[in-house]
Amino acid sequence: MTAVASETTVEELRARAVHARRLVVDMAASAVGCHLGGSLSVLDILIAGLDRADRGDGTELVLSKGHAAAGLYAALHVSGRLPEDPSVRYGQAGAPFTGHPGPLVPGVRFPTGSLGHGVPYAAGWALARRFAGSGLGIAVSGDGELQEGLVWETLQVAAARKLGNFVLVVDRNGGQNDGLVADISPLPDLRARFAAFGFATAEVDGHDLGALRDVLAGTGDGDRPLAVVANTVKGKGVPVIEGKAASHYVKIDAARAAKWKRTLR
Amino acid sequence: MSTTEAVRPVLSGRDAYRAELTALAAADPRILCLEADLGGRGHPFAEAHPDRFFNLGIAEGAMIDMATGLASAGFRPFVSTFAPFAALRAAESIKLGLGYLGAGVVVVAPYAGVSGAWFGTTHHCLEDFAVLQSFPGIVIAAPYGEEETRAIVREAAASDRPYYVRTGRNAAYRGLLRPGEPVPPVTWAGDGVPDGVCLVSVGEVGTELCLQAREQRPDLGHAHLCRVDAGHLTEAASLLRSRFRRFVVVEEHRPAGGVASSLALALPDAQVHGVGAGNRWPSHGGSHEEVLTALGLDLAAVLAAVDQA
Repeated sequence: MTAVASETTVEELRARAVHARRLVVDMAASAVGCHLGGSLSVLDILIAGLDRADRGDGTELVLSKGHAAAGLYAALHVSGRLPEDPSVRYGQAGAPFTGHPGPLVPGVRFPTGSLGHGVPYAAGWALARRFAGSGLGIAVSGDGELQEGLVWETLQVAAARKLGNFVLVVDRNGGQNDGLVADISPLPDLRARFAAFGFATAEVDGHDLGALRDVLAGTGDGDRPLAVVANTVKGKGVPVIEGKAASHYVKIDAARAAKWKRTLR
Repeated sequence: MSTTEAVRPVLSGRDAYRAELTALAAADPRILCLEADLGGRGHPFAEAHPDRFFNLGIAEGAMIDMATGLASAGFRPFVSTFAPFAALRAAESIKLGLGYLGAGVVVVAPYAGVSGAWFGTTHHCLEDFAVLQSFPGIVIAAPYGEEETRAIVREAAASDRPYYVRTGRNAAYRGLLRPGEPVPPVTWAGDGVPDGVCLVSVGEVGTELCLQAREQRPDLGHAHLCRVDAGHLTEAASLLRSRFRRFVVVEEHRPAGGVASSLALALPDAQVHGVGAGNRWPSHGGSHEEVLTALGLDLAAVLAAVDQA
């Protein structure tokens, strides 16, 4: 397979990310709130990953850390895959925009939120695209999610089957539901772990859209799958919650949402 | 209660579990508390007994298998994660550990049914009775209200049998039991009339709906069941049949493998109708009540089933 270069400029991707962050904050101001911190940490990865998938070669992106559904819906909307503004009916009866994504949402193929499953979904997609001759399977997981054994079973299989078109991007924001990954089940030497499984590895700033675009554009060659450790900040973009564990699930009122949107960066 | 005594808020099922277990552990060093990253910050057991609290991370199968090892070594481990991740994801661990080995592990599973509401399909569990009752030897309990939840936790702590206890999310009900009472095989919450219909309620939603139905139809009997595994249902069925022969079972579960289907087998000479969550996938948002209504599990459905019974 050949590398595919993105035609979208980094400036365009940044504009999408800003728009998407506004929508995520709006979803935090819905009647049910949302997983805000993880949605904002993963957002730039999703923007870059969906841009990669837009090249039309059959690439599929799977958000395995499904609790960041608000981030996914926003990214799908600003990327043109989801026509409806998801912030309007987020969490509401009769709407498909549930707190964990499912296939009723345009642009979502797999149900995720029971952690770990999205990684093998994407590996299966990659295997299918290998038959087709083009396209990647990109899984986006959390770092806490790596505690699920299913992830490591898939890494073993992907390396054994030489799935060179499979990519795992880890949104390494350092947090999980009950606290810090470092306190609950630490993951030292993460990149070395992936390498030991037989993966090509990369480490990037998970909010550097240019770096994310470049690392995803360069995949698809050879027979080694790729693991990308994307270092991120929980709550990225909203200064008052950046890096705070309490941003994991947030419900705010409209006035606070308006204030936070004015400070977005 | 004196006028100066503060009224303590009623606890949800999962909070009642945490509070009761924390109190019990003070006198029983065998009790351990295991979580899989869904116990929340500030878990009371972790604060009271930090050396016996283990958040193992997002690793449900490993948690239940490790609990089996702990129970085999003489401890009484209580493990908790959401019902879909306990009963479905870790089903094989429960089958082998709690079922085949009969290990004295207690699984407490909040978010049962569609109490996760807008969280979506991955966080719903309408199949746990079906899965659990297919593993012989496990006590299955679906308590209603704080006192019954506390009572079943006390019972489980004093027992050496494996237990599966399902609760909802954050809804809090005072329940039908008085503080300190044990859980009977059947809690009669309404006598009904001779030759009438008896509601059989299971779990939080089923019992709430039956209580609401009796407000409109006081002629109905109401039998509430907490333990719903095959062994306890056989005992309950005998008590139910001694007073009624027409039953409407209300439960937040699918038809297959639910309590209605088990009671129908246990009562071949009775009429057993089921009102449950049906066979559709709950895949839209909304409150718990809105998702239940979308699935056809509401008061209107209960009353319609009574009319047809």
